[in-house]
Amino acid sequence: MDNLKLPWWLAGTAFALAATFLVRDAYIASVVNLIAIAALTAASLRFVMLMGELNFATAAFVGIGAYATGAAITILNWPFLAALLLGGVVACLVSIVFGYITLRTKGPYFLLIGFAFTEAVRILYSKSSALGGTSGMIGIFPPAALDAWMPTFIMAVSALLIFGLYVLERSDFGKILTAIRDNENVARTVGLDILLCKIACFAAASFAAGIAGSLHAFANNVISPGDFSFLVAAFALAYVKVGGEDNVVGPVVGSVLLVILGSYALGLGGQEHIFYGGAIVLAVLALPHGVTGLAKRGFAALSGRGR
Amino acid sequence: MQAADQPLLTTKGLTRRFGGLVAVSNLDFEIRPREILGLIGPNGAGKSTTFNLISGFYKPTAGELFVFGRNCTGKSPLAISRMGLVRTFQHGSLMRSMSVRDNILLGTIHGVGRGARRRERVAETAEMLGLTPYLADEAGTLPHGLQRLVSIGIAFAARPRLLCLDEPLTGLNQTEVANTLTVLQRIRDEFGCSVLLVEHNMKAVMSVCDRIVVLHHGQHLATGTPTEIRANGNVIDAYLGHRHGH
Repeated sequence: MDNLKLPWWLAGTAFALAATFLVRDAYIASVVNLIAIAALTAASLRFVMLMGELNFATAAFVGIGAYATGAAITILNWPFLAALLLGGVVACLVSIVFGYITLRTKGPYFLLIGFAFTEAVRILYSKSSALGGTSGMIGIFPPAALDAWMPTFIMAVSALLIFGLYVLERSDFGKILTAIRDNENVARTVGLDILLCKIACFAAASFAAGIAGSLHAFANNVISPGDFSFLVAAFALAYVKVGGEDNVVGPVVGSVLLVILGSYALGLGGQEHIFYGGAIVLAVLALPHGVTGLAKRGFAALSGRGR
Repeated sequence: MQAADQPLLTTKGLTRRFGGLVAVSNLDFEIRPREILGLIGPNGAGKSTTFNLISGFYKPTAGELFVFGRNCTGKSPLAISRMGLVRTFQHGSLMRSMSVRDNILLGTIHGVGRGARRRERVAETAEMLGLTPYLADEAGTLPHGLQRLVSIGIAFAARPRLLCLDEPLTGLNQTEVANTLTVLQRIRDEFGCSVLLVEHNMKAVMSVCDRIVVLHHGQHLATGTPTEIRANGNVIDAYLGHRHGH
């Protein structure tokens, strides 16, 4: 907990927020929103990777957050901030129940259960008339006063939550997660309740994913089941792998790069899914520690030569 | 609370079957306070199964397990470890990507207290094991002998009443073996902790153990002091004869 690199965080967040102040073009604003939400989703996925699990249910929890917020605004007429928070809380609560049942499994089994859960929840929305069926929900607006500042607001909330996950990672709890990833059996023999720790990790990550979903709902004003297929988790995995999973900046860098490149690829009429798949393969083959790992090695090589 | 001279661990008719194979059959043995008990036997004798049974990783098919006077038959590894029975594993019983300090610190996670007390405990444990110079090193990068000591460090950092070590001497050179045996004796003499030692290194077992339990084909073959075991005809036939064939 001693070295949280706070100046770097404040500088990075200030830079990101300043950039959003300059955005006055609606298309660029939507790309900025996408980047912030993607970074938060990827940070959530990476947080579960700390304990060694690939959590494809991330996509489901983004969707649950979005739908909870959508229902709170359009059906219950809740105030803005309460609706936003509800997305995170509902995703977190569902993840505790889901995690209690499924976190006894590991590796490919856990991944497949998460995948199946995501698709099952998506089908559930499309069959539910209260939630708008296949066409989804419309009219999820932030307060009019905030409308012009949405990119700034979304960026600020994402930065705050990513920082929160980072603080957890650097705490004793983070060390416990690393221990579970490295050697679950040893962690168990020293009196750690492994399942409880895993659920706590999962719940924290799912809260962040749920808020990412809420932000998505407010940014787009419209949500539909198709927005929350397993592809959301696959994209998040691409951001993490391209950016580098070794540190918390990785998913952010990966999101910035891939969302910008992906928006460009969309403009070309290309299939963005192929683009993302290709990015994962390339990153794994050519950049084992992602772009941030490459930058770190480059920096080390340069400073070594300077001496 | 149990009396001071009562056994720390008792098994009664402990049995574990895997399909048609009886890995451990009707095993009775006990571990007494302040002793180093050796558990030996040829490969496949049921040592590892016994280890997994008493630490809660396997549920017995039949029989009973008493730890510190309480019936722990069928209890989870978590419950048993929290009572003060801590085990290591034969292979890679540590967190490779974490520092030695963080490895041992993990051992203090339950029942030691808060920050300062835990750090004190890590320093004390590292000092006893001779790991102080390596505290900042990544555990997975250390030489094999030191990794073995880190495993013991994690387990002993919780100051268990019964420490169960699964082949801690495998792959160590003579100096490292002697060093580890001294550590085991200090754990017994200075901390009053009993040690269950599963080990193939006969010379080491004979020199350090107070008593020895011999398993053969999942069954109890003999119990006694090293001198008694050395003189036991059954044991020589089953096991020692092959190993000490000079």
